[in-house]
Amino acid sequence: MSQPPDRSSTPDDRDALAGEYVMGLIEGAERAAFERRLEEDHDLARVVERWRVHLAPIDATAPLIPPSPTLWPRIEAGIIAVAQSAQARVEPALRQGQAAGRQIEAAAGRQVGTAARQMETAGGRFADWWNSLFVWRGAALAGALAAIVLAVGLVGALDRAKRQPVLVAVLLTEASVAAAVVNTFADGRVEMVPLQNIHVPEGKALEIWTLWDRAVGPRSVGLIDRARSTPLRLDQLPLGRDQLFEITIENATGSPTGRPTGPIVAKGTTSQAL
Amino acid sequence: MASDAARADKARDADKARDIEIALLACASGDKSALKRIYDAESPRMVGVAQRLLKRRALAEEAVQDAFILIWRHAARFDPQRGGGLTWIYAILRNRSLSILRDEKRTETSDRPIAEETASEEDDPETVMSKLSDAKALHGCLEMLPPQRRSIVLLAFVQGLTHGEIAGRLRMPIGTVKSWIRRSLMSLKECLG
Repeated sequence: MSQPPDRSSTPDDRDALAGEYVMGLIEGAERAAFERRLEEDHDLARVVERWRVHLAPIDATAPLIPPSPTLWPRIEAGIIAVAQSAQARVEPALRQGQAAGRQIEAAAGRQVGTAARQMETAGGRFADWWNSLFVWRGAALAGALAAIVLAVGLVGALDRAKRQPVLVAVLLTEASVAAAVVNTFADGRVEMVPLQNIHVPEGKALEIWTLWDRAVGPRSVGLIDRARSTPLRLDQLPLGRDQLFEITIENATGSPTGRPTGPIVAKGTTSQAL
Repeated sequence: MASDAARADKARDADKARDIEIALLACASGDKSALKRIYDAESPRMVGVAQRLLKRRALAEEAVQDAFILIWRHAARFDPQRGGGLTWIYAILRNRSLSILRDEKRTETSDRPIAEETASEEDDPETVMSKLSDAKALHGCLEMLPPQRRSIVLLAFVQGLTHGEIAGRLRMPIGTVKSWIRRSLMSLKECLG
């Protein structure tokens, strides 16, 4: 992927770019790059906040439209789904994180143990289940070696020069079994290849999600009726290392909320292929 | 004197902003009634903002729904030191609305694409301008821009039009649109301080 041009060499450029961002005029890869910078560059964050304050009166001119009576119940349902998935997942993830930690700490450093400890300290609070990303990242580390081996195996029969994946993610089930591989290629193609049959209940489908920034949240990149190889449409979405991919069970037409709502089949994060 | 009314307005706005920030802190500790307070206070305006961007009521409500779930989920990340609660909420709403807008435009197959859906008179730049008279500073600074450039800025912000869409609508080269917006932003910045 090409790097977006750095248009922020002078303070004026930076201010204008921040203004364009707040107006919604920066898109795609450039927007993602800007948001990454925003997390670290506090001066830039201040400039963005100033633009938001300056332009807020325009939003205040919007007409007042009373929401339909079903909107709040829908929000409440969405929140309960988040809370339930947090409770259902954080506990096993924590145990699994610790177990995985014991298994691979010696080989793969201390990241999983650290992640498990982070989980423990967060345990008392409302559990944002994406926190378990850290644990999953650690668990995925265990699969990293397998990922490379698998990736090489999968592409072995193909035209190596063109088809060597750049990034690979092995999606593991909760029991740490590799269920699928996501391959991303230099020309921007991304595909998911299942490694085992996945049971899909009647009227349901498998939806594939990616998460690169917790502030943005997960985005749907594919919907399939059964486990089969499928191209994923990432279009303008950013793609990098340690990016989460996951498969959930959703309605046949896809998640009604645009967010993962059903049980997670497998997940894993991308690693660079050698 | 008008200044008394203005002072009262300002005080009310400050109270409202503080209420939102207190509610966000309560959300971070898991208090769902605090989210409902924000919803009761802001949802009609939020639907209005999303509707101007997305044109369709169902999509606007979807954006507001997603925004509230994100607000709840990320309330712990809200930091009053770094910005106001209201701007934080509306930034989430606008981001979500713009994502939905771009996704819809990319994938829609309907006969009536969103981009061609006519905006209501409410979204018209001049109508927005006239309603901005309460926000003296911004109104004054926008007044200083040439009318066409002012319209472009308002079209982009209110309706979420891209550089390319503005260029298409006004039959202007995209480069000109980009540089006009950029220069307008620089004048606004200078004027607003």
